[in-house]
Amino acid sequence: MMLSHLFSIGPTIGQPMSQPIVAMHIPDGFLNVPVMLVAWIFSIGLLAISLKKVEADYQDRAVPLMGVCAAFIFAAQMINFPIPGGTSGHLLGGTLAGVLLGPWAGSLVMSIVFMVQALIFQDGGIIALGANIFNMGLIGTFGGYYLFRTIRNLVDRQQSGHQFKGLVTGTAIASWLSVVIAAALVAVELAISGTVPLAVGLTSMVGWHLMIGLGEALVTVSTVTFIWRSRPDLLYTSSRQRAETLSRSALR
Amino acid sequence: MLHSHDHHSHHYAHSPIQQAASTPLSLNVAPAIQVLCALIMVLAIGVTPNGHWITGLIYGMGIAIVLFIRPVNLTKLAQRLAVESVFVIVAVIGLLFRDGEGVLWQWGGLKITVTGLVVLGSVMGKLWLSLLVMNLLTMTMPIPVLLQSLSILKIPPLLIAILASMHRYLELLIDEFMTMRRAAIARNLVAGKRWQRLVVGNMIGSLFIRTYDRGDRIHQAMLSRGYQGVIVNQTSVRLRRRDRLALLITILFVIFGQLAFYLV
Repeated sequence: MMLSHLFSIGPTIGQPMSQPIVAMHIPDGFLNVPVMLVAWIFSIGLLAISLKKVEADYQDRAVPLMGVCAAFIFAAQMINFPIPGGTSGHLLGGTLAGVLLGPWAGSLVMSIVFMVQALIFQDGGIIALGANIFNMGLIGTFGGYYLFRTIRNLVDRQQSGHQFKGLVTGTAIASWLSVVIAAALVAVELAISGTVPLAVGLTSMVGWHLMIGLGEALVTVSTVTFIWRSRPDLLYTSSRQRAETLSRSALR
Repeated sequence: MLHSHDHHSHHYAHSPIQQAASTPLSLNVAPAIQVLCALIMVLAIGVTPNGHWITGLIYGMGIAIVLFIRPVNLTKLAQRLAVESVFVIVAVIGLLFRDGEGVLWQWGGLKITVTGLVVLGSVMGKLWLSLLVMNLLTMTMPIPVLLQSLSILKIPPLLIAILASMHRYLELLIDEFMTMRRAAIARNLVAGKRWQRLVVGNMIGSLFIRTYDRGDRIHQAMLSRGYQGVIVNQTSVRLRRRDRLALLITILFVIFGQLAFYLV
């Protein structure tokens, strides 16, 4: 891979992409057996169901489409941007994947990204992969999507017709919160494994990711806004939503 | 497409043929078995309890022997290890702020305890040993072979097909991103932080639109070449004697490493 020629954008133009100070991908050696086992059970379940769902939804489009979308998330994660508070960070993209592709395809794509990062780039561990898929795929993407949908529905119910407001509010809150919660989960897992005391882990991980989440939310909102303006048909619509729009247009 | 694939193969320093020629000692074990042995090794390293130094030492020596049989560029290996062990900072923070028995050093809220040192040492040891194993694997095995090995190891074919498809387009998409980035910088991106974030967001959005359309085009191209979904071909390897031997040696070695702690 030509990782060496990747440069960050923004204040450090021309400098190699900097590594985040506190990373989210847990490497091997940091978790104990029970934590890894429980995380693996959940993430294998998520993988199995999302593979089935994606195969049913996309059929023979699944391979090319999921493949390029995973490559897209990987590429998007390499661009650095300034984070409020002075440092720079990059997108994690879990909620973005959920908003764009839906809960199942979104979490499958994110899991594929983590697998490639662990297998080929050693970013995150192999036996810790289950925990990483659990934190950022199941909670960050799958959970992030449903949080987004709940908030969007709440906002849209008050303001009938203005779908954009719900989309932006939902995206902002869900992408910020999913990053913070995933960071908190890392701290909890490290604490249960006896690697880092809970208070210390929570303070450093969550404290740091409160700001990272802010950057994540701002960039995710601007991405989703761009797609909403230029190709709104590409944003994921759940089957229930589609049915509602159809019945509404039939009534008119 | 073809171009990108061609381009890719240049990144693998050794072709399988060269490897076999340059390392006469290499036992020529089937790739799937190599992957399986590496996974067993990483699993064994991962489940080692903290403070079992002798186990770590034995595993380290085992990896050193493999490194001798199958040499890789050591500078490159060291560089990769350094970049990959950023997470160590978390462990160091954990060490400094931990309460525990046997305080060795204290300065205000910071203290170093024996418990903290044992955890830090064990975690770093396990981290570096597993990184060594995985780096050795990926530095000596082309990615397509690695993916093929995974399918032999009963990973679902659809998952492997998506992994392979992602790997194929990864470089292409990164290149496209870099082009957009250059264009943005040429148009004076440096204006302000809010502006930068907005532009990055728009870039990601526009890349997604291009990506989705590209996915559709690829799908059409695949269909026109007769694609009818993932073919489930039962690729199973017939284990040769040396494959069985390699697997057996790995398993025995791993168990020996774990038992050594109780024997000493």
